[in-house]
Amino acid sequence: MSESSNAKKASAGKKAPARRKSAAKKAATARKAAARKAPAKRAPAVTPVSVLIVGAGFAGLGMAIRLKQAGIDDFVILERGNAVGGTWRDNQYPGAACDIPSNLYSYSFAPNPNWSRSFSGSQEILDYIHHLVAEFDLEKHIRFEKNVADLSFDEKTGVWTATTDKKERFAGRAAIMAQGPLSNCSFPNITGIDDFAGKKIHSARWDHDYDFTGKNVAVIGTGASGIQIIPELVNVAKHVKVFQRTPGWVLPRPDFSTPEWNKLLFKKLPASQQAMRNLLYWTHESMALAVIWNSPLTRIAERVAKLHLRRQVKDRWLRRQLTPDFTIGCKRVLVSNDYYPALQKDNAKLITWPIARISEKGVRTVEGIEHQVDCIVFATGFDVSNSGTPFPVKGRGGRVLGEQWKGGAQAYKSINVAGFPNLFMTFGPNSGPGHNSALVYMESQLEYALKGIRKIIGENLKVLDVKEEVQQRYNKSIQKRLAKTNWNSGCKSWYLTEDGFNATMYPGFATQYAAQMADFREDDYETA
Amino acid sequence: MASIDLDKMLEKIKSTQWALSDIDWDAPGAELITEEQWPKLKEFMADLMWIEHVGARAFAALSKKAPTDTLREIYSYFHAEEQRHANAEMALMRRWGMLDGDEIPEPNVNLRIVIEWLDRFADEMPVYVLGTVVPMLEIALDGALCTFLLETVEDPVCHQAFEKINDDESRHLGVGFTVMEMQGRSASYIKMVQMMARVMDPRLILGIASYMPLLNKMRDNVIAMGLPEEKLYKAMQKFERIGGRTEEGRRNPWFQLIKQHGRWVTNRSNKAYHVPVDALVKITGLVPRKALPAVPSWVKELTYEPVATR
Repeated sequence: MSESSNAKKASAGKKAPARRKSAAKKAATARKAAARKAPAKRAPAVTPVSVLIVGAGFAGLGMAIRLKQAGIDDFVILERGNAVGGTWRDNQYPGAACDIPSNLYSYSFAPNPNWSRSFSGSQEILDYIHHLVAEFDLEKHIRFEKNVADLSFDEKTGVWTATTDKKERFAGRAAIMAQGPLSNCSFPNITGIDDFAGKKIHSARWDHDYDFTGKNVAVIGTGASGIQIIPELVNVAKHVKVFQRTPGWVLPRPDFSTPEWNKLLFKKLPASQQAMRNLLYWTHESMALAVIWNSPLTRIAERVAKLHLRRQVKDRWLRRQLTPDFTIGCKRVLVSNDYYPALQKDNAKLITWPIARISEKGVRTVEGIEHQVDCIVFATGFDVSNSGTPFPVKGRGGRVLGEQWKGGAQAYKSINVAGFPNLFMTFGPNSGPGHNSALVYMESQLEYALKGIRKIIGENLKVLDVKEEVQQRYNKSIQKRLAKTNWNSGCKSWYLTEDGFNATMYPGFATQYAAQMADFREDDYETA
Repeated sequence: MASIDLDKMLEKIKSTQWALSDIDWDAPGAELITEEQWPKLKEFMADLMWIEHVGARAFAALSKKAPTDTLREIYSYFHAEEQRHANAEMALMRRWGMLDGDEIPEPNVNLRIVIEWLDRFADEMPVYVLGTVVPMLEIALDGALCTFLLETVEDPVCHQAFEKINDDESRHLGVGFTVMEMQGRSASYIKMVQMMARVMDPRLILGIASYMPLLNKMRDNVIAMGLPEEKLYKAMQKFERIGGRTEEGRRNPWFQLIKQHGRWVTNRSNKAYHVPVDALVKITGLVPRKALPAVPSWVKELTYEPVATR
């Protein structure tokens, strides 16, 4: 109250006689003129490093390693959290693991012979990330708790400046957006969600202090996270109700622990691990024929998944509830050996009735029943933005990337956007794999970015900007190819925008993607 | 009546949900059921509950087969809503002391046969077949039975529940007739050919063989309850009236078939139909319950409890 009344008083005080007002006007004009001559209020310039990296997850750290290996040491990594690891730091829910074998879900330039299992858990993956930081001495480059709120390009100087939410500024001649596509999450928009008086937990922000023992738990969501959490919860909770909207295709998971001799072999003979990686790579590549395009292999993959379901679930109705009605690959293919058995345990129940609302005590479904629980686990995925950016990104002439992407994100080769020079994106538009390791794609992106960065530094460029027409041509071809894929075959998934635009996936083999990224064509760029 | 906008209908369905806990099942009024009414009402309610449940399963099949995302989602809601009706009717039965402990009332043999058929073949049926049969079942059995119930039972809780149920049902019928009209829009002869191919399908013949005696059996049950036969027939004629209100509706060969069948059912003097079908009712009545396969697990989802803690 006092502040506002003071403000009123101050403004009332300014209401002076006409003569004084005119003098004040003159003074203001003089001030403005002086300001035009020397912009005194401008923030002090920040000395730019060669490369500014946003995010200390797999992508940002991988970029840092490749920069170091290339002899570029003046880079800074801005990380909004207080630890490295990105998605693997955040996703530490019980049972969290990668659905790609670890020997393929790791960097080829930093192999780990010690994976304990074929599909390692998230803690082991996080340990690997910590190991990368230590081995390549990256810690000194990382600035923790720097939450980027704005990224702007100055065409005159050829410098990107990142401003954090605390107004700290960092500058770089090139910028890498490595904030990750799956880094933000929120509770879903279900009616009544705020009325729930019990405990709410999001899979990507797990509360490790909450004890599930003896609790009635609801799990909403049966995607990649849900099917990993559910078996773990069924083991400890009193009762688990699983609310499913759409069943996914589930393939068996060939998971086994790595024998000691195997680890020793990989250590002593790195070529053997590379051979294993190659084998896994080509096996996954062949899956593209089943997952990306509708082919006879698609039917075989569906057959395998149905046999897996039939073998694990004897009840016809439950099998029906768990049978997807879309082509395999249209949504993320799931892998699990223990999800179906967990659903059939005495203390678990699958509920496929649509959710009407969340109430104070639980979940009300359309069959009229209120399922009362102590805790609701939301395994509902991430806030994926196919048409925006996590913070404003301002390029040449003040253009804003989020605005350009309103109709759907697009980039050149997933990595550069015309009008945003010297900016490289990891997991940019249309770079997602449906069948192979994300890190395989990432490595190609890092190599491409490195070529661009070398050119900027080597030729002392202020601007390395992909040509608009090149980008247009590329996207026309990508969208044409996407139209023939399973992702665009009619199911709703996070790969698509509300309007059905696919700005997420790459319509081809990882090998094709790698070939495209290996080819850095200088003619595609405008330089200055 | 013009066809409805299905997207708007889906929004309306989502925004008008109710739960069993919205009704006070222990409120006074249960004593208004007379001793004379009680045994017949028990049978009647059990049949009604099972019809809702069978309807639910048919909607489940439609939700897999429907041609658009919106319609698929609408049908998945209708599936759950029919289940809600069955649950609410079971809660009424419990209120009136008609449940033997926690036991679900036994379905009659004709219903058991229909349940078995739905469980095995419903998902294989084209959307046209169930899309036409379901509105008929809803309008004839559900509609007639619910009206009759409200005319004869004075318990205010029963009226409260059925007010909600009838609101849902009017949406089900609105969508049902719209879909029938949608099916009548393309070239009739193609539909006719497709239909004839389907009619030859032995799975469908089995379905027809279980549907026909069910109708006659229900007619017998309803009459035993004191519902004038004409009321049931009047409801069935409503199907013919609404379903045939537009050119598209009339062009749907399944509508024509079901309409014709409705005429046979409502014409008691049609011996060619009623003698064999009534015989089927008698024969199926002789089938020992033990000879029937175990009820599918979806049947066990029924509950009268508004709240589930496990």
